Amino acid sequence: MTAVEDVVTRRGRRDTAGPKYLSLARTTLQQAIAYRITTFFNVGLTFIWVIILYYLWRAAYAGRVSIAGLTWDQMRTYVVIAYGINALVGWRTGSAMMATIRTGDIVFEMVRPLNYCTTQIARALGFTAVEGAISLAFTLGIGLLFLDIRPPASLPAALLFGLALIIGFLTKVLIVFLVSLLTFWTLNGMGLMWSQQAIMQILSGTIVPLALMPGWLQVIAQVLPLRGIVSTPLQLYLGTTTGWSVVGLLTLQVGWLIALWVLANLAWRRAFRIVEIQGG
Amino acid sequence: MGRLIRIFFRLQLVQLRSAMEYRADFWIGAVGAILQQLVSIVFLLTFFGHISSLGGWSLWRILVLQGIVMTADGIREMFADGVWKLRADVNDGSFDRVLVRPVPPALQQVTALASIHGIGNAGLGLVVLIIGLARSELTWHWWSLPLLVITVACGTVLNTSISFLTNMIAFWEPAAQSAFPTMIALMRDFAKFPLDVYGVAIRFVVTVLLPYGLISYYPSRLLLGIGQPPGWWAVTPMIAAVAAVLVTSVVWHRGLNRYQGVGN
Repeated sequence: MTAVEDVVTRRGRRDTAGPKYLSLARTTLQQAIAYRITTFFNVGLTFIWVIILYYLWRAAYAGRVSIAGLTWDQMRTYVVIAYGINALVGWRTGSAMMATIRTGDIVFEMVRPLNYCTTQIARALGFTAVEGAISLAFTLGIGLLFLDIRPPASLPAALLFGLALIIGFLTKVLIVFLVSLLTFWTLNGMGLMWSQQAIMQILSGTIVPLALMPGWLQVIAQVLPLRGIVSTPLQLYLGTTTGWSVVGLLTLQVGWLIALWVLANLAWRRAFRIVEIQGG
Repeated sequence: MGRLIRIFFRLQLVQLRSAMEYRADFWIGAVGAILQQLVSIVFLLTFFGHISSLGGWSLWRILVLQGIVMTADGIREMFADGVWKLRADVNDGSFDRVLVRPVPPALQQVTALASIHGIGNAGLGLVVLIIGLARSELTWHWWSLPLLVITVACGTVLNTSISFLTNMIAFWEPAAQSAFPTMIALMRDFAKFPLDVYGVAIRFVVTVLLPYGLISYYPSRLLLGIGQPPGWWAVTPMIAAVAAVLVTSVVWHRGLNRYQGVGN
């Protein structure tokens, strides 16, 4: 988490708009602390599936050394950390973005001389700081005490994991942002959030590692940006990807991040026109 | 009793009609609900791509478990989603209205919301259940179908009761947070898989404390003929449903006595 905040702080010194975005992040951070019990349960409920998957894979590994190249040690670690990462940028971030559109508070966002996408990323950062702390506590608590997860494969693996995690975080915020823009056209934010969560759980590799998926699904998941959120950081963490493939994975991640950034800004401008129609 | 059932469906019809006003919203809700269920199906298909059986349970047999749990919850969503409004109603005082009408408050609360997207869940659940049953190569007895129907019905009652119960936290803790009832409701996912794989603690929780297992695992073993299950397991869904309704009604009456309205 601190790594993510550091990036923002450092950017802040160079860019005059930086401190403004940082103060936005601080506001949502305080909100998230105020609702820490909700956040606690929100993170906690994703760990129900960690327990289910742990027991199912334990049964599957009985008498087997590896499945699709992953050992039991690696699989266990994967399941716990995947859900830990997936809990970041959770329900709250998305519903907060949708709520601003639903309630009309978005007008206040529009009059600010700030980039709307960056504003949303800054807000998400504040939530994520708290979600991240609770999620980390859960991951380490459950992971180390009960499920015996493994440390990163090596020091470079740990560093690459951190880097990929940050890019993955930004990717997820932008995707959630794009989905939230759809509330300009529909009132059913809940349904959008459900769909988004479900698709993300599958294609990011949270529910099951990409390597194990059936061929057709694997192909889809491999090219889409969602793998960058969970699968890519974890592949680096476990050291299952090495050499030039690491460069390839990170390039894909960054490429998608840039594409999503451009898309988010374009989509926002288009959605902006709809607001005027509704307001008029 | 007949009057109450009539009122129940009357109230629900009103809810469904108002939900159908926003057709696009309905479809988005239904698709979202179905996609959420697909996550565990995608996992299962992948999982069984690498192993052939899980302690006597094939993919198809596990789909029967999933189908029962999904259908029961879909029906609950369609006809009894009002329990999830309880916290908001108690908090903003609109629960006062429920108390002054000459219809039992519990009935009004249960019917306060009908989530038509539940039809997506129930439909998908039925499809999964039928596929699972068709490929499980089970021997049909005269009691198989009745047992299945009773199991799904009791599952609906159990899910409704547990959600009702956890949402009643609003009577005692007005600032109740929303994620606690959600977490308890989601623990039904444990019952989508054979309980044998879990450790003792989890098996205890989903058999005794939150008896989701009683409306899926136990009757399904009888239905599918896995191992040598004792015959009385056929009544486990009813035990779960009756016990849950009793506990819920006791807590409901205590809660009603505690309710003081809002403001001064």
